[in-house]
Amino acid sequence: MKQTIMKALALVFALALFAVACGSDSDGDAVDSAVDTSTDAGDGNEDAMDDDDAMDEGAMDEDAMDDEGAMADGEAVTIEYWLWDGNQQPVYEQCAANFTAENPNINVNITQFGWGDYWDGVTAGFASGSGPDVFTDHLARYPEFVSSGVLTPLNDLIERDGVDTTQYFPGLAELWVDGEGNRYGLPKDFDTIALVANADLLSDAGVSVDDLSDLDWNPDDGGSFGAMVQQLTIDANGVRGNEDGFDSENVAVHGLGLEGAFGAFGQTTFSSLAASTGFQMLDVNPFGDSANYDDPNLAATIQWYADWIDAGYIVAIEDVESLGGTTVFQNGSAAMMMDGSWKIGTYIGPENPFPVEFAPVPVGPSGQRASMFNGLADSINAASENQEEAWQWVKYLGSPACQDVMGEAAVVFPAIPSAAETAIATRADAGVDVSAFTTHVDDGTTFLFAITDSASQIEAIAGPAMQEILRGQATAAERLAQVDQEVDALLGR
Amino acid sequence: MTDIGIDRTDGLAPDIRVKRKKELRGGWSTAIWFLLPAMFGFGVFILYPALRGAYLSFTDWNLIANEGEWIGLDNYERLFGSDWNNVKHSLWVTFRYTMINIVSQTIFAILLAVMMDRLTKSVFVRGVLLVPWLIPNVIVALLWVWMLDANLGVVNEFIGWFGIDPVRFFTDTDKVIPTIAGINTWRHMGYTALLIFAGLQTIPKGLYEAGALDGATEGQMFRNITMPLLRPILALVLVITVVGSLQVFDTVQVATGGFGNRPGGPVNASRVIYLYIYENALLFNDLGYAAAISILLVAILLLVTFAQLRLLRAGESDLA
Amino acid sequence: MTVTTADQIEAEAAPQVSTRLANKRSFSIGRSLAWVVMIIMLIITLFPLWWALRTGLSSNGALFDGNQSLGPADFTTLNFERVLGQATEAEILEATGRSNSGSFDFVQSLKVSFIVSTVITIGQVLFSAMAAYAFARLTFKGRDKLFFLFLSGLMIPPIFILIPNLILMRELDWFNSYQGLIAPFFFMTPFAVFFLRQFFLGISKEVEEAALLDGAGNFRTFFGIIVPMSAAPIATISILTFVTAWNEYLWPLTVGRDPDRQPLTVALGNFTAQQPGTSPDWSGLMSATLLAALPILLIFFVFGRKVVDSIGFSGIK
Repeated sequence: MKQTIMKALALVFALALFAVACGSDSDGDAVDSAVDTSTDAGDGNEDAMDDDDAMDEGAMDEDAMDDEGAMADGEAVTIEYWLWDGNQQPVYEQCAANFTAENPNINVNITQFGWGDYWDGVTAGFASGSGPDVFTDHLARYPEFVSSGVLTPLNDLIERDGVDTTQYFPGLAELWVDGEGNRYGLPKDFDTIALVANADLLSDAGVSVDDLSDLDWNPDDGGSFGAMVQQLTIDANGVRGNEDGFDSENVAVHGLGLEGAFGAFGQTTFSSLAASTGFQMLDVNPFGDSANYDDPNLAATIQWYADWIDAGYIVAIEDVESLGGTTVFQNGSAAMMMDGSWKIGTYIGPENPFPVEFAPVPVGPSGQRASMFNGLADSINAASENQEEAWQWVKYLGSPACQDVMGEAAVVFPAIPSAAETAIATRADAGVDVSAFTTHVDDGTTFLFAITDSASQIEAIAGPAMQEILRGQATAAERLAQVDQEVDALLGR
Repeated sequence: MTDIGIDRTDGLAPDIRVKRKKELRGGWSTAIWFLLPAMFGFGVFILYPALRGAYLSFTDWNLIANEGEWIGLDNYERLFGSDWNNVKHSLWVTFRYTMINIVSQTIFAILLAVMMDRLTKSVFVRGVLLVPWLIPNVIVALLWVWMLDANLGVVNEFIGWFGIDPVRFFTDTDKVIPTIAGINTWRHMGYTALLIFAGLQTIPKGLYEAGALDGATEGQMFRNITMPLLRPILALVLVITVVGSLQVFDTVQVATGGFGNRPGGPVNASRVIYLYIYENALLFNDLGYAAAISILLVAILLLVTFAQLRLLRAGESDLA
Repeated sequence: MTVTTADQIEAEAAPQVSTRLANKRSFSIGRSLAWVVMIIMLIITLFPLWWALRTGLSSNGALFDGNQSLGPADFTTLNFERVLGQATEAEILEATGRSNSGSFDFVQSLKVSFIVSTVITIGQVLFSAMAAYAFARLTFKGRDKLFFLFLSGLMIPPIFILIPNLILMRELDWFNSYQGLIAPFFFMTPFAVFFLRQFFLGISKEVEEAALLDGAGNFRTFFGIIVPMSAAPIATISILTFVTAWNEYLWPLTVGRDPDRQPLTVALGNFTAQQPGTSPDWSGLMSATLLAALPILLIFFVFGRKVVDSIGFSGIK
């Protein structure tokens, strides 16, 4: 009996060793195969470098893996590039293929993490020295990286190679410059906020998209926008919000939806309305050190939301905090909602159960509309051993060559105006009018995403406070005053 | 290495036999061969990181920059001082969660295990009950968020048939913790039941037969035979479940934050201690402080485990 | 414990017939109740899985519309095809509007999961059993303290384990390799040691002592007597270890970033939300989950039988 057990164990052990030995053969170490590169001329002109086989970047990543393992000659270099948006990956694969065609000694290996895992991966990568060479950066996170000194400043490289930082939409490039004038990324896209509406519910109410585009709002009575919201609200008995007998306890369709929990900055929720009162989140942006949470305009805006939720015109915050406001909207429980331009694909895609209309956000007490202006850029890891190649890739991403490809795909709006035109045209060809989003750029009614240190801590302070206010557990004025104190203490720390 | 005993002890005098037995059983020279691999793995992959974590708690380590300086007890001062409200709140949330989870999970698990043992030997039943545990935590959380949603969830649809209003399982500050405990119980009760079931197999069937002959009911036999003899296994189960519950993380993170929200909501009602540690470590980039909170958590866990093991006399067994 | 023959039982039972009958009646009410409870629990256990299947067979659009039918909403097998790599890009684009959904190699990830889980199970069970035996039966100085130290490993938050171990992997250049995926779990986990030690404690000492007196050494006793007698707990912990290794997520995520070295749990991440604010690809996610759970289910049902069969042996009394 024990003989058989011994034999079985021995066999199994052997199998295990066999499996491990065989499994770790070739593909094992391609990640850190950062082979030393003879740092040749920067513009990636055709030196007699090793010719990597045509990297079919459009196909599966497996091919990419195998090829990297085989560069023993010490000339070619692989750049590890990380991103989170799977929808954009094919676009970047295309850019990478074009890039390698022009720079045969540089390969780009693209790894994608879902949004939920992305920042953990990046942080863990930095912490263990196994981070990417280049990665998609985000304004909410990048101050932390800057203060930790892990990003490569691009100023000298930009000057050396003569990159034109004015070729982007105004304001985008400045987002990536810190308080000391160091630049950490070249903009690659931008996004704005607009209203998305359920076209079926609109036509049921006899409202046209033009009606939607011509509204104004104020925190006292909601203005014509508020009236529209009421009109589009329908209770369980079919009574509209602006008719007698409206039952605020049993609402079937809310006039206005909410994209999700408000958070500290409310990009897709309160930011547009708040800013349209003239409110500014930070004293100085970027890298301000004082926030204006105690501004009465902000309190009035948030209170408006809270009151109208209570009155049944706006979706209850509890209903959008879990699966998100998009789900509620797609479910037909909200007639319209503010959301960002990166979601255009979601709303016009085959999975959206009804056609939609886009309209610009309403004009506010300041006399103008307002939309937060955000944009992504790619940053270079200061610990990367391939600084020069990484820079070539970043430069390429920020150049018209790649951005035109992005424009044609039209998943997001590129940061270079000409490429953005292409994107708008692509959308138009598909019958989608995105002017609701681009109007802010044209009219100059954008305001910058709030960039500050300790964004996560501010989130931890302001986020729960917003949740309390919207649940009616506290008034906006009181609670936000508290938030303001805590945030000032934090930033002044 | 006393592997093949060449010296047989048959013909030896009794006291020498005892001594020989002791030699075979005793001392590090014997034990080391059994312990070496486990000690190696423990030392490299668990002990060293833990010690490093302890060291970190006395620094202001920046995880991203991978550097930091010694700051002595500052983190601990903050933990028990200016930040105590947050820490206390998280500990309370975790404690509440643990209590609910332990009670429901243990009761259901014992119930299921006994039923698997006494009611039906069906492998099918056993298999079915285990299936939830085979699915990763993350997916289970997503599945239940989908099913329990206030608008789109099938569960609310179902209770709507009984005329009850939709319940906001995840977005009601009172309900979120019991809901997450429920999800975890759903996932783990089969697994825990299996552990207990394995323990039940070590109780000789003859005892039950004798009990039945003496006229004892199922309930009586359960109380007087099963429970006492199950003690080592119950100790294991309770320690594991308590320690696991106090460290709950995945489920909370995905269930409350899986869709772009800040996890731990609403209004921090589900911000369990581990989530707070994670926030400090990876979001606030304050690894030193996170380490300090972890040390506190470890201390609590050690105390709780020690108490449990003592109370349950887990080092002994009525069987042997 | 005396051995009773059938005759003896009958003889003793005769005067107690009426009591036995009375017990039998309450017995069957009790049993029926127990069955009801059992069935309810089975339904509660199975319904979410049915719901997952139903979602996998539905199209996302119909789901978002709020369809609550018991069967699939807008039945389609496309999602399963997507996961298995059987659907074309065009089909995927047309159905979901996404261009990159589910482009992961199911078979490769399955292979990775399988290899990693198997190796981990073998190593972990073997070494933990050895250690557990030492704690349960051998005497040496500081035994209980060392055991408690091992146990305390359960209480270290994985965040702290993660970073130093990642650094170690970088130094050994074990990223994106099987060794890297396996290493931290290969030797032991506190749970496995704890589990087996508790079971070894419950084994009667007489058998071992007889063996020892007969001249068997510790290893022979261990492999020859203890292990066979512990077939049930060992089988159990093997299954538990295998499944835990199969479902491991955070470590493989950070260590195995290549699609070639991603186990299923990580590969499934493809179906969760790609951008902030979007829903996960529900139908894709559910299909992938079910397909990923299938191997585990099969393995369990195959080895589950062995657990049942080996349970007949309950030791000598």
